[in-house]
Amino acid sequence: MASQRSLPSAPGGAGTRYRDLLLRGGPFIALVILCVFLSMATPHFATLDNMFNITRQSAFTAILAVGQTFVILTGGIDLSVAAVAALSACVTTVLLTTPLVLFGYDFGILPAPLAIAIGLGVGCACGALNGWIIARFKIPDFIATLGTMTVLRGVALIVTDGLPVPSFQSMSSGAALPSALIQAGSGSVLGIPISAIIALIVALAGFYILRYRALGRAIFAVGGNREAARVAGIDIGRTKIMAYMISGLTAAIAGLIMVGRLNSANALMADGEELRSIAAVVIGGTNLFGGEGGVIGSLVGAVIIGVLNNGLNLLNVSPFWQRIVQGLVIVLVVIFDQWRRRKTAGGN
Amino acid sequence: MTATVLRPSAAPPAGAPVLLRLESIEKAFVGVRALKGVSLELLAGEVQMLLGENGAGKSTLMKILAGEYAPTAGRIVVRGREVAGLTPDSAKALGIGLIHQELSLVPALSVAENICLGRMPTNRFGQIDWKRAHELAAEAVGRLGVAIDPGAEVGRLQIAEQQLVEIARVLEWNPEILLLDEPTSALSDAERERLFAVIRRLKERGVGMIYISHHLAEIPMIADRVTVLRDGSVVGTILPDEADEDRCISMMVGRSLEDQFPKPVVAKGAPALEVAGLSAGKTLQDLSFTLHQGEILGIFGLMGAGQEEVAAALFGLQKSRGRIRINGQDRGIRTPADAIAQGLGLLTRDRRQSLVPMLTVGPNLSLPWLSNRSPWSALQHRRESEEVQRYIADLKIRPATTTTPVRFYSGGNQQKVILARWMSSGASILVFDEPTRGIDVGAKADVFALMGDLVQRGMSVLMISSELNELIGMADRVLVMRGGRVSAELGRHELSQEALLRHAS
Ligand SMILES: Nc1ncnc2c1ncn2[C@@H]1O[C@H](COP(=O)(O)OP(=O)(O)OP(=O)(O)O)[C@@H](O)[C@H]1O
Ligand SMILES: [Mg+2]
Repeated sequence: MASQRSLPSAPGGAGTRYRDLLLRGGPFIALVILCVFLSMATPHFATLDNMFNITRQSAFTAILAVGQTFVILTGGIDLSVAAVAALSACVTTVLLTTPLVLFGYDFGILPAPLAIAIGLGVGCACGALNGWIIARFKIPDFIATLGTMTVLRGVALIVTDGLPVPSFQSMSSGAALPSALIQAGSGSVLGIPISAIIALIVALAGFYILRYRALGRAIFAVGGNREAARVAGIDIGRTKIMAYMISGLTAAIAGLIMVGRLNSANALMADGEELRSIAAVVIGGTNLFGGEGGVIGSLVGAVIIGVLNNGLNLLNVSPFWQRIVQGLVIVLVVIFDQWRRRKTAGGN
Repeated sequence: MTATVLRPSAAPPAGAPVLLRLESIEKAFVGVRALKGVSLELLAGEVQMLLGENGAGKSTLMKILAGEYAPTAGRIVVRGREVAGLTPDSAKALGIGLIHQELSLVPALSVAENICLGRMPTNRFGQIDWKRAHELAAEAVGRLGVAIDPGAEVGRLQIAEQQLVEIARVLEWNPEILLLDEPTSALSDAERERLFAVIRRLKERGVGMIYISHHLAEIPMIADRVTVLRDGSVVGTILPDEADEDRCISMMVGRSLEDQFPKPVVAKGAPALEVAGLSAGKTLQDLSFTLHQGEILGIFGLMGAGQEEVAAALFGLQKSRGRIRINGQDRGIRTPADAIAQGLGLLTRDRRQSLVPMLTVGPNLSLPWLSNRSPWSALQHRRESEEVQRYIADLKIRPATTTTPVRFYSGGNQQKVILARWMSSGASILVFDEPTRGIDVGAKADVFALMGDLVQRGMSVLMISSELNELIGMADRVLVMRGGRVSAELGRHELSQEALLRHAS
């Protein structure tokens, strides 16, 4: 004791550093453990092909989760991401396969870059709408996006007439989706799925904004303590709206990638993906109440969900049980996270 | 260990039983050893004052006693029986009550709900008896000599009222070991007197109290013994008559302090802030004043006199009427961003209104830099880290790391972070609302020295404070408020405790 006491109170020895790493790198460690377990459990897991397979499957959730992270960091939640993804996908594919007629003027089939840009624009606009409703009318985020989620699915149904796009009708008239879109969803370079590369780029862009731009800091401040952000002169409404716009944009990107993978879009696609994106964010260590976390964790969270899915399939677990296991994993990870937070806060 | 050698024997109140004994309590957080073997004894009917610099470990010790933190090592003995594995519930069952420094109220609930939380009175049918709850709450705060609407939402109360509710909430269940962690930091003298009257009554009933404060002037008013904590160890326990200011300071800081109020002589410059007919909220009516460059203008008032709303009204946090001129030009300030753009800075009286707890010092310091800027503009990481290094050194912010979220800082160190924010912000008109709330004597002197520097550089300070001696020590002029209006303006040579209080009540 005495010898310990005479030490200067240097912050942390080697022991605390390892503990810090363990407490912070939780999601990543969980992923490693999961992978080690699965590669021992089945020989089909640790193959290069399967790895690419997993990244391809995780890309969609990962991209959604990046935008979702922005929203959750502000203390909000975006339930409309899957609906936005579907609507953007539908708008783009419809513009690519049926002639656009506006005010009696026939624009014909739009060129692919324009149609894609419009799809992405629709995503941003939906996000802006979410943010505006929440900021302007002071409605809880949960309620507002629950509403827009339903509305946007309806809009998508109207846009597509409830049919898959490209429809049999448009296909018979020779319409097809541009190859760039198909490549984005199912192509690969050097074996690496392009969708995974896009997901990585989106995540890095998100990381960059959060770490190096005023918006990122404002998002952490608003989610961490809204009142303090206000006193510091931060425009809370604008910050919220921008976070939701980013979420809308990433949802649109994800929607287009799914189109490329499925070679088709429909108004009800990506059903339930909003919850999966939230799960990825929470598994990735972002605080559901805002102010703490980041996109890299969410990326890891999305991969954890992908690995889990893949592993359960390889192990021939029945789809019914898969759901149970996935749900349990989410709860366990959050319990661990709570425990971790209490530990770092010094409580018992 | 020098800690035990140094301890002089202080005579306890004759024959009083020992309520609580701590033996070698240690507490380590990730990266910090907050307590390094603390031992002390609390007698029945005694008020033991606990002194120590910011970050000395006072609040940590209290939270351990209240079962909120688990000690890393050491024994806690309550009424002769060792208790291990204290939890908040078992501490309460042992009669240990803690009045928190960072108030533990639920802001969205009413005063009555907060006071009766978990013990809501019910009627025969098991329904909540709201009438009874309101009566209980009104009685509980009434015992502290104030009237606070039991139905009011706590988050909307003034910080002083919140502090009184926190006190009432704990006193309500009659704890026998009462821990008061800076209960008077937000109170003015009148409320403090009433709290002391309550404490004296509790003493007669044999309640043992540990009382934490940075106000050394309170020692002769209520302390029976004074224990000083430094850097997580007890330096010694002394009697109040031995505990003069110099002795306490040298025990707390390990050196003596030269000048508490280093007030530089600065020539008054041009008018920086002219306010005419400012009114806002429930109490503030028709406030007019002029603040000059290089001037420290004090505002003093008792609770509810309107001085609480001045800062919020000036800073656009609250709707207000009246004219505000800055450097000779009319300015409409509708939001904090407007105020910051006009060169104003605000140190809020409630630190929770200023800090983002999970961010580190850097982002908290640079937060106002984001206002009035494009969301896509780059963060100034380099400038931020330079300013952080500078103020950690100048204000002695502890821990002196840049990676610890500010929620892990002691209250006084959090206050220093907010001070650093406005000192580094380039603001030229600083509104300091209770700037020394919760900071230790050494740091107070540092803050006043920095305030002197600021005015010497031509800035102006509006110092809203309930600390008479600080106003007398630092202000060039003081506006005294009563009933929402200015009742007197006192020049530096007219300032005295009596004069300030006379015009305030
Ligand atoms: N949960 C925590 N995690 C890590 N460090 C902590 C935590 N709580 C307190 N500390 C550290 O422990 C030390 C003691 O803090 P404590 O709050 O007990 O100080 P204090 O004496 O109450 O100071 P003040 O007068 O400013 O209130 C400080 O260095 C503080 O940063
Ligand atoms: Mg404290």
